[in-house]
Amino acid sequence: MKNIFTQNKKITNWMNRGNKSVLYLLVIIIFAILVMSLLDSKFFTARNLLNILNQQSTLGIATIGVTIAMISGCIDLTIGNLLASSAAVAALLLNAEVNVALVILLTCLFGLVAGFINGLIVVKTGIDTFIATLGLMSVYQGLALIIPGGNNIYLKGKLANFGTYRVAGFIPIPIFYFLTVALIAYFVMRFLRFGRRLYSIGGNPETAFLAGINLSRNKIAAYAISGLLASFTSLIVISRIGQSQPAMGVAYPLEAIAAAVIGGVKLSGGSGTIPGVFLGVILLGLIRNSLNILRVQSFYQYVMLGVVIIIAVTLSNIGSNKKL
Amino acid sequence: MAEKDSILLEVTQCRKSFPGVTAFNKVDFDLDRGEIHCVVGENGAGKSTFIKMLSGALHPDEGTIKIEGKEYFSLTPALAHQLGIQTIYQELPLALDLTVAENIFIGNWPSNKLGVIDYTKLFREAKSLLDNLKIDLDVEAIVRTLNVPQKQSVQIARAMASEAKIFILDEPTAAYSSSEISNLLSLIKKCAANGVGVIYISHHLEEVFEIHDRITVLRDGNKVASHKKNEVSHEQIIREMVGRDVSKFYTREKVEIDYSKVIEFQNFSDGSMVLDVNFTVNKGEILGFAGMVGSGRTELTRLIFGADKRISGDIIIEGRHVSIDNPKEAINEGFAYLTEDRQKTGLILGHSVEWNIMLAHLNNSKGVYINEKRESASVRHFIETLDIKTPSIKQIIKNLSGGNQQKVVLAKWLYANANIVIFDEPTRGIDIGSKEEIYKAMVDLAKHGKYIVMISSDMPELIAMCDRIVVMTKGKITKVLEKEQISEENILTYSIGGTI
Repeated sequence: MKNIFTQNKKITNWMNRGNKSVLYLLVIIIFAILVMSLLDSKFFTARNLLNILNQQSTLGIATIGVTIAMISGCIDLTIGNLLASSAAVAALLLNAEVNVALVILLTCLFGLVAGFINGLIVVKTGIDTFIATLGLMSVYQGLALIIPGGNNIYLKGKLANFGTYRVAGFIPIPIFYFLTVALIAYFVMRFLRFGRRLYSIGGNPETAFLAGINLSRNKIAAYAISGLLASFTSLIVISRIGQSQPAMGVAYPLEAIAAAVIGGVKLSGGSGTIPGVFLGVILLGLIRNSLNILRVQSFYQYVMLGVVIIIAVTLSNIGSNKKL
Repeated sequence: MAEKDSILLEVTQCRKSFPGVTAFNKVDFDLDRGEIHCVVGENGAGKSTFIKMLSGALHPDEGTIKIEGKEYFSLTPALAHQLGIQTIYQELPLALDLTVAENIFIGNWPSNKLGVIDYTKLFREAKSLLDNLKIDLDVEAIVRTLNVPQKQSVQIARAMASEAKIFILDEPTAAYSSSEISNLLSLIKKCAANGVGVIYISHHLEEVFEIHDRITVLRDGNKVASHKKNEVSHEQIIREMVGRDVSKFYTREKVEIDYSKVIEFQNFSDGSMVLDVNFTVNKGEILGFAGMVGSGRTELTRLIFGADKRISGDIIIEGRHVSIDNPKEAINEGFAYLTEDRQKTGLILGHSVEWNIMLAHLNNSKGVYINEKRESASVRHFIETLDIKTPSIKQIIKNLSGGNQQKVVLAKWLYANANIVIFDEPTRGIDIGSKEEIYKAMVDLAKHGKYIVMISSDMPELIAMCDRIVVMTKGKITKVLEKEQISEENILTYSIGGTI
């Protein structure tokens, strides 16, 4: 009992808190960076590394939302089409000359309410969350077409700075969004009772229920956060490409779930950390960037990305399943 | 037929032990063709260990199992199946979306050379099998639409179709109505008349007496006696089932009970498993709940705790009516519930000792932020007072022993300021040392003026610990035994519906 706080124990405890996958991911990432730096001199430059972060920041923010839902044991497949729907909402508002700050607020509110409704439907119907959000995914796909009348909406320069501004002239602002969201999420999931409730629900819903945790309310909150972050992401995306498109974001749900799982989140819920997921997102970006630099054709990139995802998850599983 | 050929199954000097306990001790057992051999015993007498060895799920440490004259040291599930030993469950292994006939001949459907199933033949054969067994079922009905007793008869028909020789039925009539029970019993007799040997395990003596050719009584893993039909009375069977030396068991400290403070539970019903239950518990009292598995005790506590929907039920704590509709409200009123399956419903296995101890407190106290320092200090306090053996408060709970896990669950509720503590099978599957520590903790709680409810199937433990014992059968209270009335014989009599 007395030697609880020896250094060794501290490391074990740190690892027990779900940081094993963080460690494994760090090793993989450092290894990947080393290999790539040797293969191509263009890789290890500030410009390219910032580029990777910038590229991944949108997926990253959406992934953090999905992660929060997944930790509570809920899958959220709606984020892609929800992103497109809220992009349309934002674009229409902008073109109606609504104040930019208000547009940002209203778009986020749209995502929050949509996520809330998703959660409500999941909880009230009791359908498996994968199936329920698969259905909802189609609903948002429809909305993404209905809201803008099936058209792309061009922003004509409005909101341009939101996603393309460079801090100090060279650091893209989405990186700051991503870092801020990740930090807040880390704090919520690690230090707030709300976060702990989500982990508990995902870890064992029955035990959580008998300990007085309101399962429905917390799951709905998790979905609402996921919706909110998806719509926030949509603002960055439309700002970058200067338009909203009904078909944007379709790859998000699967990529986000892949990144979360690489980061140590389990589909069954209850485990995974925000730092792990952060690194999972970075690893995915690193791989894509490397394949680009190595001039692998995009058709082949999909195949390789898939293979890498499977390998990465297998490796991190080996790490986290190992007994002490 | 020669005498020797009639023996289907012969178990000789069979022994099985688990760490710290001999579950089955040098038992001899045999079963003839066409015989219905009933096995009775208290919870924990070794009945399920016996079945598991016959179905191949457990391997005996010593002894042999002889089936139709062929000797085996141990069986595997596949081998048991191949030898024609069939355990009949209430509903588990049926393909719910296939028809009755398809289930009866599952995997062995009549078909032509191309593998196309000949449904006319299938239904015809199934029909004739069901007619022969006098089972009144539509062979084309989808199994999912059947009720539990009907599903069970489909299983029995399937076992007959696969020419099984030995049927094992373990508490087959739980939650059955009396007409359903008599249907099942006559079906079993029919099977026996066709030459099947039946091992029938039940704690409902009425059923056992109606159906048996022989009764074997087990107690603490030993065979106490074997009786042929009409050679024994209810009373004698009960006497043989009891008789453990209770006095040598744990001796608890006496606690002054405050009879002026009382919690009343009135009219608890859920419409099926719990029927109009009324009882009271006093401050400082340990109130026991006895009854056989399936008597509704756990269901009752879940109703009290607000975990399941009730039809009726009122709680009056020290004169104050309280309304409890979910566990959160129960916890706010001071209730704590240590469930019977701590791994499935008491703990979050993937998380740490600290996390689990904090769980109920965190969700039932004010605040948004987790004050880790203060929480850890409280957690450490409970680890010390309950003497939980863990290398660290951050240790993953999975890696602790059963006894220490149980203490963590207890710590969780103590931290949540429990006033009324419900223990459901608190010492199941934990070692003797930890058991005593749990008992000591329970007595300590009583001493501190808590209200304690204890469900247990371990009768000596119940007798040693409780001030009064409520006995339940089929969802109803059959008797509340006062301290001086408590005896194994009385408990058994009221819990298995025997008549004295």
